[in-house]
Amino acid sequence: MISKRLLQVVIALWAVFALHEVIAQQQEPLLHEVPERPAAPDFSIEDMDGVVHTLSAYRGKVVILNFWATWCPPCREEMPAMERAWQMLRREDIVMLAVNVGEDEDSIFEFTASYPVEFPLLLDRESAVIRDWPVRGLPTTFVIDPQGKIVYRAIGGRDWDAPGVLQKIRALKSRP
Amino acid sequence: MKPVSTVLIQRLLFITLLISGTVAAATGPVNTGVVPETGLRFWEWNARGVLFRLTQRLPDQTRAYFMARGFDNENAESIATRCVFQSMFKNIAEQGDGAVSIDLDTWRIHSAGGETRMITREKWPENFVNPEVAKAAAIALEWSLLPTRQVYAPGDYNWGMTGYGLKPGKVFDLDFSWKRGDKVFQGYLKSVECAPDIHPDPQP
Repeated sequence: MISKRLLQVVIALWAVFALHEVIAQQQEPLLHEVPERPAAPDFSIEDMDGVVHTLSAYRGKVVILNFWATWCPPCREEMPAMERAWQMLRREDIVMLAVNVGEDEDSIFEFTASYPVEFPLLLDRESAVIRDWPVRGLPTTFVIDPQGKIVYRAIGGRDWDAPGVLQKIRALKSRP
Repeated sequence: MKPVSTVLIQRLLFITLLISGTVAAATGPVNTGVVPETGLRFWEWNARGVLFRLTQRLPDQTRAYFMARGFDNENAESIATRCVFQSMFKNIAEQGDGAVSIDLDTWRIHSAGGETRMITREKWPENFVNPEVAKAAAIALEWSLLPTRQVYAPGDYNWGMTGYGLKPGKVFDLDFSWKRGDKVFQGYLKSVECAPDIHPDPQP
């Protein structure tokens, strides 16, 4: 009787472990290396406060650059994770910029009431900036190294505050 | 110590398979159902490392969406009544399995009217009643649609609308394909129904 109970406990533990493995696999952070690390196309655009951000001015820092829109469900879904990541990275010489595509300040202002974020929200009103980038759908996010090269790309939302993702981003600071 | 029974081993195996998803996958690549929150129907392909899902959009939803983004009544009507679905395509393969690419222009719709192609980003302007479209509206349409061509690394996905050029309530089969490396894979969704053009009565 005892040995059967023991076996049931082992089975239960095994099931929990297997489930954990499956969940861990499904949530595995996925940032994909961009072949040949192309140079990031430069731009100068305003944020919601009228401050102009020039990408090349951030040379020497790691930049997380996200293209998004308020009506895009996965964009909305990943915003809180981006904000959490930003709160962890902002004092580490890492920059986060989210470029809104084709919308006005009012739409974004309304959006931030439900999804408050502290990193800069840039306005690509005429979708001129996004056309210089290899983007076909929203959201798409790039991670740019301190030399201004695109190292990682993610199409669709991600858990930006997942330890594996943060580790990859931080590792770029010291990457040759 | 008692010997472990065959039933126990079978249960153990079943639990492991269930957890790993193998049992669910064995029921077939296509899943259909109703979204509980909206009552709208969906059709989903989940096999060979790819998840592709179509969820009905009521024409009224699509009208409201595009009118709010600067389309005039006629063009919003033209889009809304051409069978627009909310769509999601995802590469769900393991990391080492590589990227998949799609080209919506190669996908085929089979309906009572014969074989047709999807209305992709590049083709929507041909369907506008008024060729003059506000720039903000055109930008919203372009980025709201599933990309015509895209490459998805494992874990990558897009959401977006897809247009089928059929009247509300019509039924069609969709044959779709994707490439992984040099190999072309085929998928299908059968008896997909364009959402009817209904105007629900306001709740009392």
